[in-house]
Amino acid sequence: MKNNTTAASGHTELNTKKKAAGKRRSGLMERQSRNGWFFIAPWLLGFVCFFAIPLVKSLYYTFTKISITNDGLTFQFVGLENYLTAFTVDPDFVRAILGSIGNIVYQVPIIVFFSLFIALILKQDFHGKTLMRSIFFLPVIISSGVVITILKENVFASGTGQAASLFQTGVITELLIKSGMGLPLVKMITTTVGAVFDLTWRSGVQILLLLSALHTIPDSMYEAARIEGATEWETFWKITFVLISPTLIMTIIYSIIDYFTDYSNKVMRMIVTYVNQGRYEYSTTISIIYFAVVLQLILLRGQSPVQTRIQRRELTGGYK
Amino acid sequence: MTQGFKFKHKKTGDIALDGITKVLRALFLIGMAYVLLYPVLFLLSNAFRSPVDRLDPTVIWIPKTLTLNNFVLADQLIGFKDSIYKTCTILVPSVAVQVFVCLMVAYGFARFKFKGRELLFSLLLFTIIVPTSTIIIPLYVQFRFFDFFGVGQLLRVFNHGQAVTVNLLNTNWPFYILSATGMGIRSGLYIYMARQFFRSMPKELEEAAWVDGCGSFKTFTHIMLPNVGSIVIVILLFSVVWHWNDYYLSVMFFVDNYPLSVGVTVLQDRLQLLSESMSAADIALGESSILEAACFVVILPMLVMYVFAQKYFTGSITRSGIVG
Repeated sequence: MKNNTTAASGHTELNTKKKAAGKRRSGLMERQSRNGWFFIAPWLLGFVCFFAIPLVKSLYYTFTKISITNDGLTFQFVGLENYLTAFTVDPDFVRAILGSIGNIVYQVPIIVFFSLFIALILKQDFHGKTLMRSIFFLPVIISSGVVITILKENVFASGTGQAASLFQTGVITELLIKSGMGLPLVKMITTTVGAVFDLTWRSGVQILLLLSALHTIPDSMYEAARIEGATEWETFWKITFVLISPTLIMTIIYSIIDYFTDYSNKVMRMIVTYVNQGRYEYSTTISIIYFAVVLQLILLRGQSPVQTRIQRRELTGGYK
Repeated sequence: MTQGFKFKHKKTGDIALDGITKVLRALFLIGMAYVLLYPVLFLLSNAFRSPVDRLDPTVIWIPKTLTLNNFVLADQLIGFKDSIYKTCTILVPSVAVQVFVCLMVAYGFARFKFKGRELLFSLLLFTIIVPTSTIIIPLYVQFRFFDFFGVGQLLRVFNHGQAVTVNLLNTNWPFYILSATGMGIRSGLYIYMARQFFRSMPKELEEAAWVDGCGSFKTFTHIMLPNVGSIVIVILLFSVVWHWNDYYLSVMFFVDNYPLSVGVTVLQDRLQLLSESMSAADIALGESSILEAACFVVILPMLVMYVFAQKYFTGSITRSGIVG
């Protein structure tokens, strides 16, 4: 009997303990949730006021004709007219957008591969490593502003293409021709150099992001791979590539956006020009169409099975 | 273990291959360095060049007479003092607020569990993807008739049915407000970066603080912030550079009294006008030198900052761990 009671009381004790623990836990969860909301509150406010509402408004504007009167802006609903203008009336738009998309499609993979290549080289140990790294970060400073646009107009593009200035004195070009190369071949070389030039200036941030990702891979992993007898090639694909893939996705998306919002981009220039001319609704229509197309591109990149896996891991990876 | 590998006997072929790789790498890097340094050197060389030296074919890199005339002319046309001052008044508060808010939001996303976090985080990624140009016009209207996040609308009753609004255009406030609400220039990217960093930090420190009864905000400001040095420097530098170079928002939110980055394009337009109306050969020649002088003024502070911060920058980014 006595034993029984102690057992029973022990049982209830255990039960209350469990309950208390559960309660404490739910309290903690609640507190976690409250704190979480507290920390992201500024962003949430900004997201609603300066992103979600403007985005919805932007969408609405594209179906209207905006005119400026004494009472401010008036909106007249015109249906799909702006979209029809963009696709059927405007002579420049379709060509400009196709050109931009075409450039994104072939330039982004090149930029990402190039950045990865440079990042892998810069990660290695060699003399003057710090100096080289600093030089490769120069584009971050220069190319994010208007200076690069002016530089491109004034410095690089004097005459035939961007490579021209690199062969400013013409000595190298002359030398190439004199050494028996055909003119088309020389032209090809100069164009390639020009392309490399452009590429280098576009990949500053990407190199930075990838380099930092490479440095977070612990050396012990490479050591283990070496002990197991993996070749460099295998090590790259099975360790490096896998571990930096989330950053690689980020780099791809960043490259697309960077190109997308670049001022050398024709569509971007059209958007700014139309705003300056006061054709707000048309400018917005163009940017919405443009954005929709680019979003498709970004989603398309996420479609391939490997990338979907990576993306899923990227989005939910840290949540245990 | 490592020692054993270091002293592993190498074959002659391997050594030769290593040598070739090293030479190729050096050549490649030197070529790239040339490509990257070229425009900076070009600017440097042209900004101090007199019109005479521009015509002189024997002058390739170093001008025979150094002149500050280009800078003086550029200054007369756009006024460096005012525009640099303007840029600084935007940059300093905006950057400070932006970095703090981004870190705070990132901490919220990294460490606390709450309903809808995944959804909100994907929305954050979405804000990185959508370019400002898509929403710039409603944003412009919003700052033209700024209603204090809807409070102005509620105050209608006290104002004869009119919403209370303030015109914030042509002031620095749009930049401050956007930065404070995590929507500033590329805030989304910084939040993303900082979140990855916070996630890689050990939880023990915070747990100790919790146990000692430290509130979560205090934990953030007293425990987390002092320990995130590296990522703060990276975000800070990015933020300073992008604020300094910002063109799009500035050209939208300012009517006159432009910051420096817009000033350069104004200078470009004015020079073009000048050369059209005067059509004298020497003006056309001087034009690009003046513009180059102005470009040099734009990039010089960033270059100086970069040279000083470079050690922390490259050092910290390699330690900061921006990885998913």
